[in-house]
Amino acid sequence: MFFYYLDLAWRSIKKTPLMSLLMVLAISIGIGITITTLNVYQLMSENPAGERSDKLVAVQLWSQGKDAWKEFNNQLTYQDAYNLRKSDVPVRQTAMFITGLALQTEDPDFVPLLESVRVTDSDFFDMFSVPFIYGKAWDKGVDTEALYQVVINEVLNKQLFSGEDSIGKTLYLDSKPYQIVGVTKTWSPSPLYFDVTTGAFKDSAQIFVPFSLAPIEEFQSWGNNQSWKRESINNYSQRLNSEMHWIQFWAEVQDDKQRDEYAQWLKRYVEQQQLIGRFDSPEAAAQLSNVAQWLELNEVVPEDNKILVGLSALFLVVCLVNMLGLLLAKFLKRAPEIGVRRAIGASRAQIFSQHMVEVGLIGFGGGVLGLVWAWVSLSLLSSRFDLEQSLTHLDTSMWLIAPVIAIFAALVAGTYPALRICSTNPSVHLKSQ
Amino acid sequence: MLQIKPILSTLMRNKSGPILLLIQIILSVAIVANASFIISERIALMDRDSGTAEDQVFNFRLYTFDTNIDLESQIQRDIRAIRDLPGVIDASTTSMVPLSGGGWSSGYTVGSSEETAKDTEGAAIYYGDEHIVNSLGVELIEGRNFYEEEILTGSPDLATHGIVSKAFAKETWGDEPAIGQIMYAGDFGEMPIKIIGVVDKLQGAWVNSSYLDNSVILNIQLVNVFTKVLVRAEVGTLAQLKEAIPATLHKDNRNRVIEGFTLISEHRKRVYRNHELMATVLSMMVVLLLLITSLGLAGMVMFNIERRTKQIGTRRALGAKKRDIISFFLVENYIICLVGGVIGGFVAVLLGQQLMSLYSLPQLDLIYPLMTVAGLIVLTTIAVILPARKAARISPAIATRSV
Repeated sequence: MFFYYLDLAWRSIKKTPLMSLLMVLAISIGIGITITTLNVYQLMSENPAGERSDKLVAVQLWSQGKDAWKEFNNQLTYQDAYNLRKSDVPVRQTAMFITGLALQTEDPDFVPLLESVRVTDSDFFDMFSVPFIYGKAWDKGVDTEALYQVVINEVLNKQLFSGEDSIGKTLYLDSKPYQIVGVTKTWSPSPLYFDVTTGAFKDSAQIFVPFSLAPIEEFQSWGNNQSWKRESINNYSQRLNSEMHWIQFWAEVQDDKQRDEYAQWLKRYVEQQQLIGRFDSPEAAAQLSNVAQWLELNEVVPEDNKILVGLSALFLVVCLVNMLGLLLAKFLKRAPEIGVRRAIGASRAQIFSQHMVEVGLIGFGGGVLGLVWAWVSLSLLSSRFDLEQSLTHLDTSMWLIAPVIAIFAALVAGTYPALRICSTNPSVHLKSQ
Repeated sequence: MLQIKPILSTLMRNKSGPILLLIQIILSVAIVANASFIISERIALMDRDSGTAEDQVFNFRLYTFDTNIDLESQIQRDIRAIRDLPGVIDASTTSMVPLSGGGWSSGYTVGSSEETAKDTEGAAIYYGDEHIVNSLGVELIEGRNFYEEEILTGSPDLATHGIVSKAFAKETWGDEPAIGQIMYAGDFGEMPIKIIGVVDKLQGAWVNSSYLDNSVILNIQLVNVFTKVLVRAEVGTLAQLKEAIPATLHKDNRNRVIEGFTLISEHRKRVYRNHELMATVLSMMVVLLLLITSLGLAGMVMFNIERRTKQIGTRRALGAKKRDIISFFLVENYIICLVGGVIGGFVAVLLGQQLMSLYSLPQLDLIYPLMTVAGLIVLTTIAVILPARKAARISPAIATRSV
């Protein structure tokens, strides 16, 4: 029966090609716009930590003075990060920031490159599930007793060592020799949730060095450096002892119980710091956020995207109302024909389902065409605005979502016209024939 | 004359079609009004002038990793060498680049005594030498530039002289002349800075900050392994200077990385990208929405004509002119448009309020719904007239036929 209705629907569509085209166009443009904005929104709001989202927590401290910032800063001071690293409550933890160093190899003809480098602890790689091809992270001991060791990624390894196992080889960062201990697979979660301070949709760094080297090598911070206190910072040791916020800090907890325990530990830490005269605001406290909360807190999905998704949903409604009007007109025009069918025995349910199949077919056409529009508009936008690839590829889920929304929306819009037509009284139309 | 009464009764006889059209127009007005409001707001943001010669000025990063040299004299040699290159108008080291999205900012302490001292609004801080004003291409409107002997080298804390933007001067000292005022980089009395000049306009690096037009230029040549260099050169010479500058500087000392050549006009494009993106997507939406609404309307009119063929023929037979037939459809459309426009205007304001409370958008200006309704009337007139002309051609003889 379904295929018979499909055949009828196709004939009916062919009979009024212009009107049918208008309807497919209307729904496809609505779907196209909605899928475009939804796609960007979904890619932005994705939680890249997956099931580890609840285990990873970002630490924030209200260390500022009384009249300073009115909210938690998303980074810590060096002294707090240094103290927090000593806690034995979390399973793993890491302090980190981003810097830039000149990269050279043993080849004297190699033109030095300025590379962004993440300064972090050995736990970083396990916490954020960084996959290795060769070697592994530096030993935990290096986090306290600094060694010149480095982890690089696959791309850089290909560039410098043509992709061979480079463990044990040396590369130079700011003219200092570093020994390679690990090569990671290309890995760039999007959003880059563990460091959203300088844009959440950038690529991850290619080079990682131990955090314990920071005070020795005096790595500059390439991220945000925010001060609430007027203090003079003219050298690195003043920087390390200052109240400037510039270090990101993450911890991994096993479960909620351990998270509470860690929160208690941090509370005691704040109280302890108050005794030595820091954290003098009445609001002084610590705050833990898991990855989902962290993305929310840092508004990784910009407002503009939410507005666009909202407006495009309204846009889709307009398209549907438009289609509803056209369908109604079309179906009512066919009333005499339906009168004949009813008179020779077709039931209301049959007439209704016949029309719903037709509507569904139009919806399907609109959905497919809408996907094409979405693809066109995304590629236009990404070439025009040079957007990050991670934001403009059409997510595979959309291949399913688009036709489903389109068919569903078309069926909703088609219900009223189909009901109207199947409730016509056959005798009226038969008479006028 | 306009036959409003018979039109109204036609509308009432078959309600569902007109009601659907009404809903469509209400929603269209609400969406288009808010979207075009956001678009015009973004365009106004993007139109703001940075005050600099954006097509001439570019910056690059210079990273020296040689520890065995005197960095200060190295940087001074480098800047002199750059100024001597053909095509270069001027060059200076800087702490930040306008519209680049990153840099330095701070508030200062001003006042005549410790009790009356207060903090100024935040301002972008440019540290540079006596060439920075010319290198940026900003216009000095009061006072004077730094003298060469006033330039200090090294740490930012040493600053003694300042040139401020007009916006910052006005906000801080109101109508009092800014020249000769003192502001403090620390608490009252600490690290005094004397204002010696005012530039007409100079923006900072963050286009979404509330103090974008507040800028301060201080008399310090920064000495740091990371140095930002600002170069002003003839338009079109960047491609060749991109090669010439590293070649010249590497001849002097090879142990550095030179990269990131970017014109301020490119920074502008990048920093306003999200606004431009929003404006583009919304414009796309507005155009498509209007298109769909008018196509839908044209479709409805075509359908109505077919249904009313007999009625139209009868009217023509009874003496109605072609003009009357067209005006019948037009007036019918205007009635729906006006009712839809009024309700749509309300909905637009409601939607605007909703957006305002949820997001950081200003209040919707009433001119936008009005403009949208006006635009819709023009557009729907076209969408109605085209099919209605066909209706006007219906022969009166049709009325005499039975089917």
